[in-house]
Amino acid sequence: MSQEMRRDSLPETNDSGLHEKGLSKGTVGVLGLIVIGISCIAPAYTLTAGLGATVAEVGTSLPAILIAGFIPMLLVALGYRELNNAMPDSGTSFTWATRAFGPMIGWMGGWGLIAATVIVLSNLAAVAVDFFYILIAQLTGQEWIAALTKNLWINIPTTLVFIAIAAYISYRGMNATKVFQYVLVGFQVGVLLLFAIMAFTSDTPYDPTQITWDMFNPAGVESFTAFAAGISLSIFVFWGWDVTLTMNEETTDPNKVPGRGATWTVLIIIALYLAVATAVLYFAGVGTTGLGAGNPDNQESIFAVLAGPVMGPLAILMSLAIMSSSAASLQSTMVSPARTILAMGYYKALPSSFAKISPRYMSPSVATVVSAAAAAAFYVVTRLLSENALWDTITALGLMICFYYGLTALACVWYFRSELFSNARNFFFKFLAPLVGGVILLVMFFVTAVDSMNPEYGSGSEIGGIGMVFILGVGVLLLGVLVMLYSRIRHPAFFKGETIKTGKNLTL
Amino acid sequence: MKLLVGYTADERGAEAIELASAVVAGTKDAFVQIAIVLPAAAPFTAVYPGGDHGYETILSAQVDRWAAEALALVPEGIGASVVARSVSSIAEGLIELGEEFEVHGIVLGGRKRHLGGFFMPGAIANALLHSSPLPVFMTSPASLENLREAGGQITRLTAFVGDRPGAEEIISLAARVANARNIKLRVANFVAHADVSEGSAGIDDHVRGIREYLDELVKELGIEASVEVIASGSIDTAINELSWQPGDLALLGSARLAAHRRLFIGPKAHRILGHLNVPMGVIPHLPSTR
Repeated sequence: MSQEMRRDSLPETNDSGLHEKGLSKGTVGVLGLIVIGISCIAPAYTLTAGLGATVAEVGTSLPAILIAGFIPMLLVALGYRELNNAMPDSGTSFTWATRAFGPMIGWMGGWGLIAATVIVLSNLAAVAVDFFYILIAQLTGQEWIAALTKNLWINIPTTLVFIAIAAYISYRGMNATKVFQYVLVGFQVGVLLLFAIMAFTSDTPYDPTQITWDMFNPAGVESFTAFAAGISLSIFVFWGWDVTLTMNEETTDPNKVPGRGATWTVLIIIALYLAVATAVLYFAGVGTTGLGAGNPDNQESIFAVLAGPVMGPLAILMSLAIMSSSAASLQSTMVSPARTILAMGYYKALPSSFAKISPRYMSPSVATVVSAAAAAAFYVVTRLLSENALWDTITALGLMICFYYGLTALACVWYFRSELFSNARNFFFKFLAPLVGGVILLVMFFVTAVDSMNPEYGSGSEIGGIGMVFILGVGVLLLGVLVMLYSRIRHPAFFKGETIKTGKNLTL
Repeated sequence: MKLLVGYTADERGAEAIELASAVVAGTKDAFVQIAIVLPAAAPFTAVYPGGDHGYETILSAQVDRWAAEALALVPEGIGASVVARSVSSIAEGLIELGEEFEVHGIVLGGRKRHLGGFFMPGAIANALLHSSPLPVFMTSPASLENLREAGGQITRLTAFVGDRPGAEEIISLAARVANARNIKLRVANFVAHADVSEGSAGIDDHVRGIREYLDELVKELGIEASVEVIASGSIDTAINELSWQPGDLALLGSARLAAHRRLFIGPKAHRILGHLNVPMGVIPHLPSTR
């Protein structure tokens, strides 16, 4: 009958193992990292969504622009890695940019990331839905089913259902297993290679186009406008690769595995992209009629058109690969804006209710619902306003990625400004690489933003003589400015620097 | 007595702490070990873009707040501490923590009532009921109401037994528990008409037989207990005929099918669980001697 009180809560909770992310520590090897990297890139999805739009901008220089697009991505990712190592506890553009540049720019960095992910969510859902109906049509042999996705009364509700399911899975905190990822990635890569091989060995290519070295020469792109647009699209196709560089303690050897994994991932992805890009050029050419990759009707989802003629009955594999990769990405990408919104709520940059964590599933609750609702709203608006929603969202997405990536890269340079020239390593990784990468991306951002005001830009949709891409991309950023000003009035704590201090060596 | 509470920072978590506190209250070294389990990090679910987004930091701060709230729920006079741990499976994690902290049982809060008004164990409780080597105590909003009517004091134990050899084990364990805290013990058995092969005429004989067997058992064990054998059309109606008082705690034995020292809930026990409006504990086949 002891009445003794023993409440040693604080030491116990702090030693409790919250910080031993324990079970996953040191479990990922080089191969695992490659799989994770490829699954984040989701090549089957990025190729079908991005390849057509890129061909529209640069024509046969497609291979060159894919290679060129990787360079700013690499430079920025190197800066990301430095920030991640210096502030491992914060780990997001919002906190990094706030620490470097102060609350206002930090807030916009967070908004840029949320906007980019919300846009890609709506696009992922749309692609998944398109191929969902194509797949059903191929399975049943009823071709009319594939056309159902063009009916807005069917398309929009189906897409909303996909988004809702992804949000629910994400809220429940369900995780993909190792086996699941290996199978998904292996299947995706295998099907894409099969497509390339079948295109090159086809007896009846639609418009046989000789593959020449000129296609690999970035200087062959006709105009700077086309080059800028091509770069921001090819950044979209590499988006996801940098996750391999930021994984550290999860790997079996933090000194070697991330570097090797990142290198192998990018080599595999570039090889895969070049194989598929040249295969598309060889098989279909860039003609603007029929199956040509330059035909605007084909550009919003290139495989939806080409998989059938190239692969025959095996096209069903392509539909399955694209649907599974976009559906899986839809779910894993949902976590990202939810966590950024949660972090902004937690640091009082947004109302505190956004910081709610589900006690049962240990996942952001309000923030997940908000992300899903934003993606759904964005999709409905775009689908109703634009003749070619997928295409315009992808272009707007490229714009958004350039914005927040560029900003974060410059945040790296500014954050480390006192130590940039202390040694050669710092000079390269904290100064030169992120500076060049960041400047390139922000230049691409401004050039694309100005060009996209032209109503002819992108798919050619417009409102009041202003291009749809500009309205979507810049409109979302301006909306961010308004929300920020509102938050500043309603919740001034963050903007006074009370929750996150600007500057170095301060704990959050 | 020391119990491990599988805690979630909501009503069910608070209810679990309330039940655990009532069960350990008045025993030697009364202690409630509160466990907050977190999902294990899953590297193959890479969050992209942006990785962690500071989530671990924010979650960790949140868990510290939840821990403080949970400790405040434990009444004076009962020791308590909190452990938070990432686990790959919640049920397995609770069992591991239970063994690590050498507790006498695991306590879970129940889910909300179902439409039919029955308590049904959730996925985690079910997993525990099928694999735990430790007793598992469960509650639900309605059953907690019953406990509160008795001022949070357990006033009587009701041991559910079958008519086969396993009964002795449960009765003697329940008797020890009841004795230690100086409360009454009741032994209950249900007979469904359909289970009696002799037809309606044989039911009275069957009931009498079981009653004699249980009376004999109680006498052999040298304990004081009331015996109730209830025959009814089905288990469901039989359960409803049993009367309850505020502060009742029901104890069930694990099914005979269970592996050595592991819980396993049979269909009959499942039905009983579904209808009970008092807190309950399920005891593994060979009771833990700890």
